[in-house]
Amino acid sequence: MSDKQVTQAAARSEATTTTDPEPTPSTSGDDTTPGRAPDDHGPRGSNGDDRAVDLAMPHLGQIEQAFVERWHENATGCFSSGHKFCREVCPVTQVTRNENHTPTAFHANVIGLEKGHLSVEDVADDYVHCTQCGGCEVRCPNTLMVGDFYRARTETVKVVRAMRAMLVDKGLDREKWKVWNRLTDELKNEPVLGVEGEQPNGQAQVRDWAAGLDIPIGGDTIMFVDCEAAYYRTSVPRATAQILRKAGVEFGLMNEQWCCGGPAAEMGYVEQSMRFARHNVDDWRRSGVKRIIAIEPHDYVHFTEDYPAYFGDEFDFEVVQIIDLVAELIRDGRLELVKPIERVATYHDPCRLNKRKGIHEAPREILRAIPGLEFRDVDRVTQWSYCSGGGGGLPIEKPEITAEISRRRLEKASELDVDLLVSACVWSERPLTAAGDEAGIEVRDIIELVAESAGIEVGGRTRA
Amino acid sequence: MTVTASLGNEVVDRLNEILDEPGAVLTSRSSRFNRARVPAPFPVHRWEEFLPDVVVLPRTTEQVSRIVKLANELKVPIVPRAGGTGLADGAVPMRGGILVDVKRMDQVKEIDLVNNTVTVGPGINMQTLNRHLRPHGVIYPDDPASYACALVGGRIGTSGLSLLGARYGHTRDLVISFEMVLPTGEVIEVGDGGGRKVRKSSTGYQLKHLFMGHQGTLGIVTEATLELVPRAETEFAAFFLFEDYDTAYRTFSKLAKSGLATLAGVMLFDPEKVDYLRRDDEAYIVQPAWVKAVCAVSLLGTRVEVEPARDVVMKLGRSLGGRYIGDEIASGDWAARHDRYANPLHGRDKNGKVIPMSWHCEDAAIPYSEVPEVLRKWHAIARRYCEQYEIFDDWGAFAYTNAAHKPWGDILLEIDMGLWEDRMDEYSWQAFVSLKKEIAQVAIDHGGSMSSCHGATRAGDAELVPTEMGASWEVMKAIKRALDPHNIMNPGKQSLDEAYSDGHRS
Ligand SMILES: Cc1cc2nc3c(=O)[nH]c(=O)nc-3n(C[C@H](O)[C@H](O)[C@H](O)COP(=O)(O)OP(=O)(O)OC[C@H]3O[C@@H](n4cnc5c(N)ncnc54)[C@H](O)[C@@H]3O)c2cc1C
Ligand code: SF4
Ligand code: SF4
Repeated sequence: MSDKQVTQAAARSEATTTTDPEPTPSTSGDDTTPGRAPDDHGPRGSNGDDRAVDLAMPHLGQIEQAFVERWHENATGCFSSGHKFCREVCPVTQVTRNENHTPTAFHANVIGLEKGHLSVEDVADDYVHCTQCGGCEVRCPNTLMVGDFYRARTETVKVVRAMRAMLVDKGLDREKWKVWNRLTDELKNEPVLGVEGEQPNGQAQVRDWAAGLDIPIGGDTIMFVDCEAAYYRTSVPRATAQILRKAGVEFGLMNEQWCCGGPAAEMGYVEQSMRFARHNVDDWRRSGVKRIIAIEPHDYVHFTEDYPAYFGDEFDFEVVQIIDLVAELIRDGRLELVKPIERVATYHDPCRLNKRKGIHEAPREILRAIPGLEFRDVDRVTQWSYCSGGGGGLPIEKPEITAEISRRRLEKASELDVDLLVSACVWSERPLTAAGDEAGIEVRDIIELVAESAGIEVGGRTRA
Repeated sequence: MTVTASLGNEVVDRLNEILDEPGAVLTSRSSRFNRARVPAPFPVHRWEEFLPDVVVLPRTTEQVSRIVKLANELKVPIVPRAGGTGLADGAVPMRGGILVDVKRMDQVKEIDLVNNTVTVGPGINMQTLNRHLRPHGVIYPDDPASYACALVGGRIGTSGLSLLGARYGHTRDLVISFEMVLPTGEVIEVGDGGGRKVRKSSTGYQLKHLFMGHQGTLGIVTEATLELVPRAETEFAAFFLFEDYDTAYRTFSKLAKSGLATLAGVMLFDPEKVDYLRRDDEAYIVQPAWVKAVCAVSLLGTRVEVEPARDVVMKLGRSLGGRYIGDEIASGDWAARHDRYANPLHGRDKNGKVIPMSWHCEDAAIPYSEVPEVLRKWHAIARRYCEQYEIFDDWGAFAYTNAAHKPWGDILLEIDMGLWEDRMDEYSWQAFVSLKKEIAQVAIDHGGSMSSCHGATRAGDAELVPTEMGASWEVMKAIKRALDPHNIMNPGKQSLDEAYSDGHRS
């Protein structure tokens, strides 16, 4: 009854918000980096009027001042509501049950800073506790109900990222993130195989996953392979490449593929993220690329939100999410799924697809098209509160929280009596697999499954 | 009376010893600031006055008991906090001290499908609980508009109102029994009589009611045994539109007195509410200009009950000229009710400009007969404050059926106001407090109660508790003094400090 009410309310309001699901360009990007003027969509007070609140804050340094000015209005929207619909949906809070880690606290702290009650040091650790899943934003009634009218969305992910950027600027960044991003900077790819000792995952190995597949370099369309897929779960890019080939989609790989820069941006290393983005965009330009296939949801968010914010109009590439593309190929009969997969499966909505990008229909369409598969679905609204814990740098700083989030996700799957949990995000698959080992449920990527059903011998590996 | 000591390291050390877990005793500034505020309008300019000195996140009853004993020994204030969604500042510390945040006590301990009970920790949320219960075909039907954010401990702490109360009862009807840590640290079980799963007993005093809605002034709930009801097979919601308030008001009564057992609630929007929703709630269904009032009703139950009852509702709803709004709209709007409280994000200033606003909600229980007059007075008060101060906006009034199972007689009358919190200073805060007091006084003058569900713990209301309670205020003070000899449990609330000043009202 009441669950349904929430669903109905959400579904109903979604109908009115899909016209503009993404933030307007002026509010995207981590525009709180020093040296970049905070964007100006009117001073405080929604109408940008003469009654703006006085924000002269002599107690704040320049960096904090810019941060507070940028986020004052957003934070006030939450602070003056404070109803905490965002709490129970938050995967981190579900585990820690600590109000410091609630989305609403991330907004209240902005007011606390502004009033001189809190310093950046005081709140630094709190902002580590976020996977940037976006659950709080879609669940926030201020987004759901009035968002369309006032073009407002409670921005929590961006606040978290901006705060982390400020931590980096002030030298308060967390130790493990520091190491991770330093290594990424050196390797040009994330140290997904480990931060200790020699790194077997640098540029020299960036295309090793494609051994024997003879994929060309460059071309009109390229497939962007993110670091976890390139070095860790290589079955995912291998499955993707072979599906695309089988369906007759032409594509190549980059000349010199660096990390997309997304994880750095998520952890607050904005300058590094922009540098990596610049490199990749230049690489695409050099080989005449027009279209990028993002095989991983984090990359997709980064390419569709951060790159446009970094480069403005210069960024004129078409970005395609693999799930949408594969659903289309199946729908159009270009990819035939012939081999039955006799399993009982449920689907894990990856946060960045479902909560951040509203992609939830296509994966279900794909799963229903796989012969033999018994699909036990959990609706996407219920899954707003699900997560793997794998995003936003959480597994690097707080692996125990990530593991617990994944354990709980598998517990939910167990209740459905399934033997397979299917995800569509390679970053989720590592913690989910570890939890799946405990729960006796196998974790697969949806593309691996599609490839198998298309009769492809995928190769590669699913774990280290 | 307790004198607030700024807590020293010794207390923190001893708490750490009790909690015995890293991160379970918090002293950082952000931990304390984030447990001082609530959704209701907040005196931001005085934030620092409402900080706890230390926050603890216990997991067991034994830990809570030891914490309370320690607080007693040292005569330090102690404040329980569950979801922090209370609209009467109940969980806001007035004198620092130890804040007991119960969110980690969120286990489902037992689902008993034979006796239809579920036993949980006080830190669990109702929606989360109902997700656990779904496979079993039962629900725990305590359904406030804060269904997705309030927690069981806070529901007991406030003795809240469920929007489905007419059908299933409110928190006090749905909580069968619970475990309490008393202000001196002893652990007791309260319910009807002795049994944990007994719903009606004549043994002893009816202590459940005493410990229901005390706002953390008489102890801390550490476990609760709750009612399970069969998941409703079907529901029906109808909205009827009216050209004037009086006809809507009379129709409300007809529906409330229909005698239908499946009636889950009846609700009334006054003209100011309709205006406000039209103006500032884009999710509100656009209605013709002649609509001045709305009466809504919902039914829940099995098909064999609800389907014929639907015809009765349609007939009664239209009997005085109400016009039915249509199936789809009705169920959609009823469904959205939980989230409709989002509106506080925006209101208007005198010139009609959109400003971010905080939601203030008065929640009096008023005899049905008095409602028109109370509303008239309330809106006059609201108008006066809106004119005099820059920070207020009148968002109109709702009325809900108030009593469990017998939805006639008194109703929950709620006037909502917007407050421009960003502009709050001491001058406007004091104006807010006096606005509250005036509104509460009207409720009392008309034979009502100033709070149906949020509690009389806020400034503005708290001063009037002795007035509303009349002669029984003396009993209340005696109980408080007897159970909490050192006034450590959530001190400063509901004028209860008077219990310690010679036992007399000043
Ligand atoms: C959007 C919105 C809609 C709302 N709609 C409704 C509604 O329809 N009906 C309704 O009744 N209320 C409503 N409320 C108010 C609020 O949700 C309720 O008062 C709720 O019961 C508070 O629960 P909580 O868990 O947030 O408690 P808190 O705010 O944390 O605490 C409330 C009180 O209970 C005490 N307390 C907390 N835990 C314990 C414990 N373990 N033992 C003893 N005392 C304890 C606290 O000290 C405090 O005095 C609404 C609030 C919001 C924000
Ligand atoms: S983020 Fe949204 S749901 Fe959460 S407290 Fe703020 S306004 Fe309310
Ligand atoms: S983005 Fe996700 S993890 Fe971060 S605060 Fe919101 S709900 Fe929590």
